[in-house]
Amino acid sequence: MNPALRTAASGMLAQQTRTEVIANNLANVNTTGFKRSRAHFVDLLYQTVQGVANIAGADADSTPAVQIGRGTRLAAVTRLHANGPVEATNRPLDLAIEGEGFLQVQLENGGMAYTRDGSLQISDQGVLVTSGGLTVVPGIRIPQDATTITISRAGIVTAGRAGDVMPTEVGRLEVSRFANASGLESMGENLYIASPASGEPTIGFPGEEGFGRVLQGHLEASNVEIVQEMVDMIAAMRAYEINSKTIQNVEQMSDVASGLIR
Amino acid sequence: MGISIPPVRTPPLGIPQAAAALRNLERRQEIVANNLANVSTTGFKGEQSFARILDAQGVAVVDAQTDRRQGALQRTEAPLDLALASSGFFVVATPDGEQLSRGGSFRRDVSGYLVDATGAPVLGEYDPRGGTPGPIEIPANARTIRIEADGAVVADNAQIGRLRVEDVAAGTRLEHVGNGRFLAPTTRTPMDGAQRAVQQGALEDSNVTAVTSLVSMIEIQRAYSSAQRALTTIDAARGIVVSDLARPN
Repeated sequence: MNPALRTAASGMLAQQTRTEVIANNLANVNTTGFKRSRAHFVDLLYQTVQGVANIAGADADSTPAVQIGRGTRLAAVTRLHANGPVEATNRPLDLAIEGEGFLQVQLENGGMAYTRDGSLQISDQGVLVTSGGLTVVPGIRIPQDATTITISRAGIVTAGRAGDVMPTEVGRLEVSRFANASGLESMGENLYIASPASGEPTIGFPGEEGFGRVLQGHLEASNVEIVQEMVDMIAAMRAYEINSKTIQNVEQMSDVASGLIR
Repeated sequence: MGISIPPVRTPPLGIPQAAAALRNLERRQEIVANNLANVSTTGFKGEQSFARILDAQGVAVVDAQTDRRQGALQRTEAPLDLALASSGFFVVATPDGEQLSRGGSFRRDVSGYLVDATGAPVLGEYDPRGGTPGPIEIPANARTIRIEADGAVVADNAQIGRLRVEDVAAGTRLEHVGNGRFLAPTTRTPMDGAQRAVQQGALEDSNVTAVTSLVSMIEIQRAYSSAQRALTTIDAARGIVVSDLARPN
């Protein structure tokens, strides 16, 4: 079989994977704090099909070996941690981090996870939890009789009770950041966990040097840009089509070749 | 009077040339197929193929050359996505020795080293401001990593290394080895800091243009048909020689 067929098939498979990644990005265009992914491809190994050739009689004039590549493969799918647009919701427990940093939450198994989705709630225990019910670390307890909750840009949480002149400080949010956020492992539900590639988190308070500020009453929208994804999708579709043309072309050439014997 | 018998050519003139053309065109088509399969491979450089006549008989062989033109740069804003807006290559260490790469989606590996998408360490060079030859280690607690145009790697305002960027003279043959890398020719030279244009947060697209590749595919197909026609015509002529001229009257 002509190896160009397999080469073209690898190209079609690559574009299919790329489309899957784009489809997931587009499906999450309204997911709070979602970060888009991008598929990366590398070329496959090369095969030397023709050794170094010398022109008879002329030593200096030779053509080097000819190598033919055998297609492409998926190398990685990386997440792009660019900030998404911040949208006002006016809900007091909606938080957006303007700049770098992740909120820290505790998983059921005791491990730590990180999220940019700041749509928080108060659990039945009175502590701040994510929309998925995971406790925000450090734990912040909101008094039951609190009527107003204010979260400052520096992450200081204050609760006001009816009749209070001054609201009481009940805790301060902490944020984590990573040397290589793209290396975070994503576990769905807007959560990420640290991996060797991301490095260990650096923990700090919002607004400190290198850390983003907290915006109360706002949420960070998905950083998926529909236009960008559509353009990528068209490019992927065209590339898929072109690779299928290669297959068609190889087939026609085989037809011609078989015409050699009548 | 003796009969002179002409020397017999086997196979007759024309057939080896046409057969070589068919074979070469198949090879060229495989090259185009590989270019098209890598139309979205980061940092990929397409191969341009052509036929070259080598011997007195006019039998051609395929020759191919790596097209070193710059691919379009695409912003990704990921801190370890690196591209070169200038000529030159990053140097990576592989089990098969040093190889060259035009960049890509680099990352920090388990041991803290800067590696390429397939896990091969990216090498640094000596720099008086900070930098030793060998793999570049990114501190786990670094808050920001900045990579400057000359390849200097700065973690939290302290330079921790400088990427090797080396150039290969124009006209030198570049050999692909897969995984977005090239064999490092011995003639490569380190690039001057001022000539380097390392771009952080960007990736270089494949430099394959689909239209050009499709056009060459059509050309190859037409040439293939012609060569096939030439071969069958020569064969038919031989058939006439054998069946008609040799017919006893």
